[in-house]
Amino acid sequence: MLTATRSELVRLRRPRLLAGWFGLMGLFAIMINTVMFTAASRGTGPPAGGPGVSFPSAASLAASGGLVAGLSAASNIFGVVTLSFWAVVAATDYSTGLVRLLAAAQPHRWRLLVGKVAALTVVTGAATTVATVVNLIAAWPAARGADISTSAWTTSPVGAVASTWLNTFAALLVWGVIGLVLAVLARSSAVAISVGVGYVLVVESIVKMAMSGSSDWLPGSTLNALARGGTPSLSYAAAGALALLYVSISLGLALTVVTRRDITD
Amino acid sequence: MSVVVTSGLTRRFGAIIAVNQLTVELPDAGVIGLVGPNGSGKSTLIRMLLGLVRPTHGTATVFGEPISSPARYVSRVGALVEGPAFVPGLSARANLVSLARLRGLGSDRVDDVLAQVGLIGRDKEPVKNFSLGMKQRLGIAAALLPDPQLLILDEPTNGLDPAGIVEIRALLRGLGQAGRTVIVSSHLLSEIEAACDYVMVIRFGDLIFSGPIDELMARTRAHIDVRAEHPGDTERLLEALTVAGWVVTAGDGALRVATDAGSAADLNRAAAAVGVTLSRLVVAQDSLEDIFLAMTGRSEGELATGRTATIGEVA
Repeated sequence: MLTATRSELVRLRRPRLLAGWFGLMGLFAIMINTVMFTAASRGTGPPAGGPGVSFPSAASLAASGGLVAGLSAASNIFGVVTLSFWAVVAATDYSTGLVRLLAAAQPHRWRLLVGKVAALTVVTGAATTVATVVNLIAAWPAARGADISTSAWTTSPVGAVASTWLNTFAALLVWGVIGLVLAVLARSSAVAISVGVGYVLVVESIVKMAMSGSSDWLPGSTLNALARGGTPSLSYAAAGALALLYVSISLGLALTVVTRRDITD
Repeated sequence: MSVVVTSGLTRRFGAIIAVNQLTVELPDAGVIGLVGPNGSGKSTLIRMLLGLVRPTHGTATVFGEPISSPARYVSRVGALVEGPAFVPGLSARANLVSLARLRGLGSDRVDDVLAQVGLIGRDKEPVKNFSLGMKQRLGIAAALLPDPQLLILDEPTNGLDPAGIVEIRALLRGLGQAGRTVIVSSHLLSEIEAACDYVMVIRFGDLIFSGPIDELMARTRAHIDVRAEHPGDTERLLEALTVAGWVVTAGDGALRVATDAGSAADLNRAAAAVGVTLSRLVVAQDSLEDIFLAMTGRSEGELATGRTATIGEVA
């Protein structure tokens, strides 16, 4: 399994892929901080936010966790980016025919899948770090521009940053695994991304409207709650348990398909 | 010991039978040609041997191990299946390093195989910049990585220029002579004829022939191709030669007479006797293509041109 992980890590060292992934994470971190602090400074209360985004109030932003509020607020957007890149990496094996070479070299196909997940986990950790660092840089001028106090941000910054990084990273891993399983099923990154993004931006929003209050267990809401360290409607522990359930189902499905399906691509 | 043994090996895809009741033993050294028209089941057979596709019925072994447990023999097998497949944005070397790591091999093997296929110097370029021929070389390099006892190559000379074809053919022959077994699937019959010691012919999943290539070539027959100087005389010439007792087939303005070189003068005289002047009279031997077409039948022009084995020419 270690050989599969090391092999996958070599294949992931693609400058354009990594630049695209990390670049988008950084870009969204800047955008969310700019928009979030500007919206909070208007004093009209927190806006409803858009699909995948939930805005905190000005008071929350001025609290100790305000420094990293951008990461939590846009966790689903980061999740969609992560889902997309996991899907691209997984589907490339099929679109290029590389899966033939890999499976011929490693007949225990579950090892290929676990190795890929392990390697992508490493890169997702790096992507989360990039988003966190950019967020930390962007938050200060955004707060100053919005005239929101940052004095509380320095009380225990390390703990706040570390816990937010960990929660965001955990949520992104679940998004990634969902992207991976969609790509394995569809054998196409375009289909996997369309389904994943379409679900978060359209399907889950519609279900939420239709099933108000009873939709907290859906993947988008669950992972948003996980990234935020829990919400009033879904505790951190419940979000973590649900996320674990989603990962288990997704990985189980991917493992079944990868090990049983004939490789005819 | 046979390197590959199959017994009643069958694979269906819905209503289509890709490989049908294939029972064959392939010897454990030399270059083995796997020949058949497009869609004849060559790639499906290769995929089954590599554990990529499961058989519907039947059994097979590679190095005595069942194909249901490819992990037992995969370290001794290298393969290029249906063309080279790599990550386009990565360099040739990085692609090979990735595959070497998957097999638990060191970077020294990467240098070895790059040298073997003549890609040293181009190995740091992204694969997306490679021509089809260079990708094909890289695919062969990937197959050579585990220093395999059995090398399975699907159409290895696709996209190669003539010099590249000769080079790869020499490489394959060298591996065969060094005691390795190389299974080469190809529709380039001239390639099979030039490179292989043993040949296996399949058509629509059925085994048509399996044996040494010399045995197959022994089935060749001589013939004489003749052409009348004036195309209008062809019909008259055909009638005269048929009446004289020769078996004649017409095609493309020429006539093919099933006879050997000893009849060349008689043929010329027979033509002259009915007032026809010959512009061409060539004594030739059936090529592997002729034998192959006789065995498998013509099918939609998917065969590449084989050589015409001319052994003598008159007039």
